[in-house]
Amino acid sequence: MRMRDLVDTDFGTVDRRIFWDRAIYDRELERVFARSWLFVAHECQVETPGAFVTTYMGEDSVIVARGDDGINVFLNSCPHRGNRVCFADSGEGRQFTCNYHGWAFGLDGALRKMPKMGLYKSTPGFRMEDWGLKRARVASYQGLVFATFCDEAPPLADWLGNFRWYLDAVLDAEEGGTEFLPGGATRSVMRCNWKFPADNFVGDIYHALWTHLGGADPALGRHGGVKVENEGSYQVSANGHGWEFNNSFLGNAATMGDREILRYMRSRQDAITARLGKFRADMWGSVASATIFPNFSFLPGYFTFRSFQPKGPHQTEIHAWTLVPRNMPSDIKDRFRRGSMRTFSPSGLLEMDDGENWEHSTSANAGWVTRHQRLCYAMAPIAEADLVGLPGTVTAGQLSDANQRLFYKRWAEMMDAQSWADMPLPPAMVAQGTAT
Amino acid sequence: MTATAERKPDYATYPRLTMAQARAAAAQLLAMRGDGAAVDDPTLLAIERFYRLEARLLDEERHDEWYGLLADDLFYWMPLRENRFRRDPRPPLDPAAMALFDECKADIAVRLGRLASNLVWSEDPPTRHVYVVSNVEAFSTELPTEFEVHSSFVQHRNRSEHDEATLMGRRRDLLRRVEGGFQLARRLILLPQSVLLTKNLSAFF
Ligand code: FES
Ligand SMILES: [Fe+2]
Repeated sequence: MRMRDLVDTDFGTVDRRIFWDRAIYDRELERVFARSWLFVAHECQVETPGAFVTTYMGEDSVIVARGDDGINVFLNSCPHRGNRVCFADSGEGRQFTCNYHGWAFGLDGALRKMPKMGLYKSTPGFRMEDWGLKRARVASYQGLVFATFCDEAPPLADWLGNFRWYLDAVLDAEEGGTEFLPGGATRSVMRCNWKFPADNFVGDIYHALWTHLGGADPALGRHGGVKVENEGSYQVSANGHGWEFNNSFLGNAATMGDREILRYMRSRQDAITARLGKFRADMWGSVASATIFPNFSFLPGYFTFRSFQPKGPHQTEIHAWTLVPRNMPSDIKDRFRRGSMRTFSPSGLLEMDDGENWEHSTSANAGWVTRHQRLCYAMAPIAEADLVGLPGTVTAGQLSDANQRLFYKRWAEMMDAQSWADMPLPPAMVAQGTAT
Repeated sequence: MTATAERKPDYATYPRLTMAQARAAAAQLLAMRGDGAAVDDPTLLAIERFYRLEARLLDEERHDEWYGLLADDLFYWMPLRENRFRRDPRPPLDPAAMALFDECKADIAVRLGRLASNLVWSEDPPTRHVYVVSNVEAFSTELPTEFEVHSSFVQHRNRSEHDEATLMGRRRDLLRRVEGGFQLARRLILLPQSVLLTKNLSAFF
């Protein structure tokens, strides 16, 4: 089955089997997740040597550890009999010792020692260096750490490509870098295919006008006072990554209903504009959502960053953190901590409305007739014309399915391609500083 | 509908806590270890009655009446649980860390405003709730009108056909005796799950 036959990315239709079939899901683990650069941590989570977190890359459990010379990412499964090695979500230590027979691994994943080591020393052909925890390639962009188990994948900078220029609007708005607010990831389970939330964040502001009416109502009044129009708004896509946004600077943040946050954000507007130029400064907290292909998404304004971890074709685990500029005053950070929790967390006034949609968009496909009817990703309003001069594929108007079509285009390319040679990335444009 | 939409309450005027007040309330909850003298049986019975009433009001979606049981200085907190090694020196519950609920009374009012908007499709048709409270232990505090109460709960939900979630946990409350009953002034809710094994927390605890 060729995946490009299942998604028509010109007009915009998608075969529903891609949200249901086990065989397609297994191919995703191999061809998408095992070949992509995947978000694994923020540098601040592993700041000092010995600090570690555990997470997932696809369904592979991994350890992210700061060694003496950098951040290492390796499989969290012992090569002896396969047991999980580290059961803590985060912590600090010098080695990871497997519970089963006591094999111990260093911060680089290398096998260090085990009980009765002499038995192996005298085993012909056994070499310690052959039996470490399998290591991934690691690279960072503006504090975000990514990893891949694919040796052929292009460098992270090329993988992100033109999207980097936009990412700086949230990752480099303020001097001094960013950090995740304290505490581990907020984690929850949804019985949906991972692509529904990923495609929602890549370009679906359209749903907010209806799904989130109730959640926005108490804070903002009916229709929220938040404007979602195709004037002054955009969708940008690069390499399957996508961001839909308007130029409101703080439109998303306004729905947290905290006037002190808005006052603070306004006080930073001039400085951020001087740093990024008006076009990107206006994106900082605006009505917007974004996905870094395949499954790492964020919302400017609330600054919730989340990965949609695949757990089978019909289940997804959300891991979420809140990212703020390191130099933000601590009382404002605390307001973002509460504000992002109260909107986008399992108890969030807005997130609570999303899950049921994605779960039923998935479970309906149990019906054979149902799953053989295509879904509509066709919205392409007149405003959706290509804009030139900005990096990536930019279309005017945030209310459209443009980014979703390009997300599934990239998805199908990766699913069908045997090797990286068959799915090249376009060269990144040199960022031009300030577009206005 | 339009009438209510036009008369939108100004939540900024509702009772709030400063960050310092919230932190002090969290510290008070974290210090609760059942060290005070156990209350006498009539007081324990009155507290158990209060919990049965509270659970029934929530089960029956009588949210405004439930809201009336909350003190103006309410602090309502459900921290995240993380898997950490026993040797880890960090405090397991940190009021500065991300949480699942971290609320003052005004925040609860906004949540009730959402539910009352009649625009929440994920609660229409309504979810059915059953709330069971058990293992109630009550202790006296320095103030004769305030009680430290520990309990456990089962919060069961079903909606639509197969959509079901059962959450269990422990609570630590500070109850204040008021005319005609009690008010809830502080609540710490501890779910045992580190990954919330359901899609949302569209419920009160
Ligand atoms: S499985 Fe890990 S030491 Fe044997
Ligand atoms: Fe949403």
